[in-house]
Amino acid sequence: MDKEFIARGVERCGAGRFLLWILPWTAMLFFGLYAAGLCLVKGLNQTNMDNRFAFGLWIFLDLTVIAFGAGAFFTGFLLYILKVHELRAVINSAVVIGLVCYSGAVAVLMVDVGQPLRAWFTFWYPNVHSMLTEVTFCITCYLTVLAIEYLPIVLKNRKLREIPRFLVFEHELHKLIYVLAGVGTFLSFFHQGSLGGLYGVLRGRPFAFREGLFIWPSTFFLFILSAAAVGPSFILLTTWLVEKLSQKRLVRRNVFQILARVSGLLLAVYTLAKSIDTLVWINRTSPESGFPAAEYYSWKPFGTWILIAEIVVFGLIPALILLTPRLRARTAWLVPAAAMACAGVALNRFVMTVQTLALPTLSFDPFLSYFPSWQEIGTFLAVVAYGVLVYSFSFRYFKLFPEERELRIEARQAELESELVER
Amino acid sequence: MLPWNYGFEWNTAHVTFLGAFYAVLAIVATTVVRTLLRTRRDLRTHRAESIRWQSDFHDLPPADRVCRHVLTGEIQRRECPNAFDCRACETHARLIAQHPVAVEPQAEDETLGMPFPLDRYYHRGHAWVHPEPDGSLTIGLDELGWRLAGAPDAIGLPKPGAAIHVNGPAFHLHRGRADVRVLSPVDGEVIGTGSREQGWLLRVKPAATGERAFRHLLRGAEIRPWLVREMERLQLVLTPAGAAPTLADGGVPMPDITAGYADTDWDDVCGEMFLCP
Amino acid sequence: MVACAVENNIPAVPENASDRKGITWIRVYKINNGEAWPDCRTAFVPVLCQQCGHDTPCAHVCPQQAVDVDPKTGIVGQMPERCLGCRYCMAACPYHARYFNWWDPQWPPGMEKTLNPGAAPRMRGVVEKCNFCLGRLHAAEERAAAAGRREIDPADYLPACVDACPTGAIQFGDLNDPASAPAEDANRPESFRLLEKLGTDPKIYYRSKRDWVRRIASAPRPAGNEDRRG
Repeated sequence: MDKEFIARGVERCGAGRFLLWILPWTAMLFFGLYAAGLCLVKGLNQTNMDNRFAFGLWIFLDLTVIAFGAGAFFTGFLLYILKVHELRAVINSAVVIGLVCYSGAVAVLMVDVGQPLRAWFTFWYPNVHSMLTEVTFCITCYLTVLAIEYLPIVLKNRKLREIPRFLVFEHELHKLIYVLAGVGTFLSFFHQGSLGGLYGVLRGRPFAFREGLFIWPSTFFLFILSAAAVGPSFILLTTWLVEKLSQKRLVRRNVFQILARVSGLLLAVYTLAKSIDTLVWINRTSPESGFPAAEYYSWKPFGTWILIAEIVVFGLIPALILLTPRLRARTAWLVPAAAMACAGVALNRFVMTVQTLALPTLSFDPFLSYFPSWQEIGTFLAVVAYGVLVYSFSFRYFKLFPEERELRIEARQAELESELVER
Repeated sequence: MLPWNYGFEWNTAHVTFLGAFYAVLAIVATTVVRTLLRTRRDLRTHRAESIRWQSDFHDLPPADRVCRHVLTGEIQRRECPNAFDCRACETHARLIAQHPVAVEPQAEDETLGMPFPLDRYYHRGHAWVHPEPDGSLTIGLDELGWRLAGAPDAIGLPKPGAAIHVNGPAFHLHRGRADVRVLSPVDGEVIGTGSREQGWLLRVKPAATGERAFRHLLRGAEIRPWLVREMERLQLVLTPAGAAPTLADGGVPMPDITAGYADTDWDDVCGEMFLCP
Repeated sequence: MVACAVENNIPAVPENASDRKGITWIRVYKINNGEAWPDCRTAFVPVLCQQCGHDTPCAHVCPQQAVDVDPKTGIVGQMPERCLGCRYCMAACPYHARYFNWWDPQWPPGMEKTLNPGAAPRMRGVVEKCNFCLGRLHAAEERAAAAGRREIDPADYLPACVDACPTGAIQFGDLNDPASAPAEDANRPESFRLLEKLGTDPKIYYRSKRDWVRRIASAPRPAGNEDRRG
């Protein structure tokens, strides 16, 4: 039915089956939009955030999702600047994932703030000392860059490229894509870092506060490192997942190996940096604020297990697995390691947002607990559904995996040869 | 944001921050504007067609992009760097100087069970061109091409007066909702149209004459190795996953190839064979 | 707390709302020394915006400069019309002195007649906090200007909480004026500030001769046998 919109040489399921696939996600999207709508219309009292838990599920998920979306800029950097040509196989998918992650995060932020219509105030009266200003500027610019990078993927659709204007525009834009990749890397460096800086500068929250270099606390650099480390892992994970769901070979195995190696290396460096930073924080920074570090971990349920989990279980161990060629060559080790790396970064974001707010500063304050309301969960589900839908449409109608066609031909060739041998 | 706004001061922090922001905006805007201007220039100079072929060629699988001299066995491995436009290729010029390929105006020759007259030049997209005595050229679809096309619903031919360019679209084959274009072997102006029964489809006044105008086309002894390769490619695209090979050696392709294979799609097969990714 | 709410038109929140969603520019905590009877002792600690001086955390982090530190009075003012409601300042404040308007302000019918015209109510979705009753400061300045004076009479300007306190437990004055009572008291050895080590330089000084009060007020909860889950 829609075959003329689907590229030649690749197989996609029938339109009916595709409809069946998108139906539950569309339902989830509408439910989530209703939840978000309630928050916008009735106010943020619909959430379980309060004056002590000013940030909740949404901010934690925003940070996590933006860290995952770092795969877009990092793959672009590796491909267009460092010329790792094998990554051509996943760059389109990475751009879509990045776009989905960032646009979803921005959408949730619009619901999260009390007065979304005043969002332009940050641009008009920026406070250049605030990390949040930096985040706002960078993320807005980067979202624009991602949207521009997404355009060629759309315009290469089989039907759309028949229009000469679109074809030529895509061709010319692709010639300058390295400029956008460079700008994207620059912007990503700063906003991933500033997201870390958001918490590192909070002198009033000694759990999060860190010393650093010049105006940038150590969390600035740690967040950049962890985002760069988790980006390739997330790309690996999603590519594997899409291969599983679509029952197709989409990339050559060596692409997975490259992504795993890069991710493992950066994760190892990050784990080392984080360990050093944690030691400095435990022994110097925190006590100087009058808060011995052991205090933080005396509050149930956040014991020292969370620190060990974040740095060792979900940091060091996946790094080691991803760096060991024999282990990462096997999917049974590779995919869980990538998933653990992603979980580790998510845990780090959780610790910096939720745990920071849960711990009391004033001694006559209690430890606070928080669980998101259904409206908050619903809004998050809307973003997930939106992501799945955009990706599904892109996978069906655009060429997200250029190697798919070659791999299909090679698979057939191998089959034919084996048949001939059998005779 | 701007100097006259509340809270703005000319200090390092403001200058650095806003400087970086405006610089990024400027770079992104410049890139987009440059692209738009170049697009307009390309469209005005009618480069859309050549860009389309460049893009198509780039999207072909590597196995489909092999140099003609790999087909004939002169080179082990080489991917065509010129999108099948050998007219400007130095390697090609060097090789044909060493081993020229002759075109013998004999009677019909059969290659792999199909008539492939050797008195004409063949394009890798399965169009042929035959120089007529009066200086014009006739263009048609070769035998394998017709068997692939089978029974098309319509053949979209350009009107007389239209210009065609090397590796641009010459004519279109329609079947159902699918549409496959066949690449043009030459530059020229269409002065007449024919039909399948007449044995030719287009009569063209060439834009250039001489040996160089046909340098990029296959001829003579190149035809056979090329067709062998084409049959291998066809085999790959016809065989659904998990099935046994269906074109036995020595077998002749049927008049309507895709009709004989239930699982294959006319559009897929023709797209692959006519270099339409 | 009530005087503050009345003076500053602080709306009530719906009945079934969590206590943590309510707005209390000044909030009185009850602390005790942890001993059993007859040695147990209690104290009340009112916590409000500490009007931090050095590197004011909330002013530093606000992305749209909605927080204004007045160089003359040292009062940290919040501009609700500029506030985006991002709540970053709330995360930054170690004293939890900032409050968010989770609802549109509502008063029971008839109660709007009791509102103070000198203080603007805030809309839903913005942050607010104690501003030392700036409305009263402006009124004092107007009176001084009407009398032809440039400076206000210090006794003419008192925030509502100071005014209302029946035991006189809250004093207010000019810290820069060494002759004023608060400035003198701030320098006593038994005076302290909350979370001093954080380096926020707050302008609120607390005074107690009792060690246990000082201990509790300055750092995280001292080690004890208490249940660690609040």
